[in-house]
Amino acid sequence: MKKLYIVTILHNVGKFVLSVFLLSVLVFTVSRLAPGDPLYAFYGERVEKMSAAQQEEARERLGLHEPLVTQYGRWLRGAVRGDFGISYQYKRDVKEVIAARIGNTLLLGGLGFGLTFVLALFLGLFCAWREDRAADRIICAIGTVTSCIPEFWLSLLLLLVFAVWLGWLPGSGAYSVGKEGDAADRAVHLVLPLAVVVLGHLWYYAFQVRNRLLEEVRADYVLLARMKGLGGRQVLYRHCLRGAMPSYLSMMAVALPHILGGTYVVETVFSYPGIGTLAYESARYQDYNLLMVVSLLTGTLVIFCNLLAGSIGGRIDPRMRRHGGADGWEVKSR
Amino acid sequence: MDVLTVKDLSVSFYRPEGETEALKQVSFSLREGEILAVMGETGCGKSVLCKSILKLLPDIARIKTGHISIRGEEITGYSEKQMQKLRGSFFSMVFQNPMTALNPCMTVGEQIGEAVRLRRPELSGRERRQRVAALMELAGLNPSKDRIRQYPFQLSGGMAQRCVIAIALAAEPAVLFADEATTALDVTVQAQILELFLKLRKRMGMSIVLVTHNPGVAAAVADRVALMRGGELFRIGDVEEVLEEIIHSHNLT
Repeated sequence: MKKLYIVTILHNVGKFVLSVFLLSVLVFTVSRLAPGDPLYAFYGERVEKMSAAQQEEARERLGLHEPLVTQYGRWLRGAVRGDFGISYQYKRDVKEVIAARIGNTLLLGGLGFGLTFVLALFLGLFCAWREDRAADRIICAIGTVTSCIPEFWLSLLLLLVFAVWLGWLPGSGAYSVGKEGDAADRAVHLVLPLAVVVLGHLWYYAFQVRNRLLEEVRADYVLLARMKGLGGRQVLYRHCLRGAMPSYLSMMAVALPHILGGTYVVETVFSYPGIGTLAYESARYQDYNLLMVVSLLTGTLVIFCNLLAGSIGGRIDPRMRRHGGADGWEVKSR
Repeated sequence: MDVLTVKDLSVSFYRPEGETEALKQVSFSLREGEILAVMGETGCGKSVLCKSILKLLPDIARIKTGHISIRGEEITGYSEKQMQKLRGSFFSMVFQNPMTALNPCMTVGEQIGEAVRLRRPELSGRERRQRVAALMELAGLNPSKDRIRQYPFQLSGGMAQRCVIAIALAAEPAVLFADEATTALDVTVQAQILELFLKLRKRMGMSIVLVTHNPGVAAAVADRVALMRGGELFRIGDVEEVLEEIIHSHNLT
């Protein structure tokens, strides 16, 4: 049993490393094949005044003249040692640039994810319980409309209403100038971006919960549960939720990077200083080193969450457990 | 006194396209300790009959007319709360497909245990486990530790049906509905399950409504047979009499 467990872990680690490696190759190649000149990121407008020889020399200094394979090899050697190069745009170590921003994104994304997770479950349960009654229909209608609104437009709409017309909430940044440490000020700045993140994702997952539950409600075992003398709501909580939870948790594990990544657009609209704005800028200015790390960071998160999703599902859904799972019973072979 | 009496029961399904009459003026009574086979072709209303007595029909179905009473007490107008009490104690049911009737995400022990807890909330954890083991034994399952911790997908069809039966027995019902309880099982297991029903009737003195479309099953265990067609219950009588009539009518045509 113990041995199998270790094998499973090794198997997953292997998959993880391979996926990250392939991702790095892909991002490296695609970013360099994309049109645009990284020298702009480094020198800005000055590039246009440089002679061809100067440009050539600058390229050589940045190592951009070598063939792609060599460049990648050099990048990989550095990356393994933890050296990801410097950002062309900020002229600082990539790690520093990201470290300065990542907290903001994690705060926004983490809160957004947490709220989405809880609210979607709650809404889904409620709608499944009130299936096809007025409350369910109203929520579904609101959800359908809201989830059709693109995030950037919803952001603009909220900005217009709450920041411009009503003036209740600040419309940009993560804090007011000079109030970096003020928690209340940060919270106020979070409201609008957070609302967009949650409203943008909530409905999809709530519908998923609702529909999964309704599928379960129509299953045969519900009749048996009701024959035991359980009421409709009890069956929903005690039986159906249990059947729907594994797929919900797996789905939310996959959704984690999606929601964190979903903050990118929102960050850009609200000029929120996070990884999202950084990703956008680095792609725009061919800031290769920065783009690599930001993409890899996001990608690693996605891959990790997917693996996590699989193992979560396997852990709580007995049907998905492998031979000799944690409990140590054998799956009967047929 | 009859344990269950149904009088002039009419049930309709209301869909946007219109009304569908599923039961038309069905009347019968079930005697104490009797096994009544309800027979008829697919879609004739056998299952709807069971479910409307138990009030387990979907929202679109409504009882139009008729009376249902248990031991002389009218339950037609019972609320959902009152029905819940009856379902876990007076009535119980065994379903056609045991593999889907059990919750796939709960162990055998948990599922039987839940039924026991609902019927006898006063039992302690240890007493409850003992009761679960006793019920499993009664249903012909070996109540070993491994078995209790197994999930439905690890059971064979026959074992799963025995597990459903154990759950049904946890209610200590006066009336057990067996809705095609043996149809999905292979023939030898079918015989074992039918034998189990006979044994249980003897031990617990309960009445059984056996829904089937297999005359062999009816002949093997039933005391009386009710025949249904198109939502109507058109003939009820002793098993030999009714089955003989069927044979004759088929020979004539």
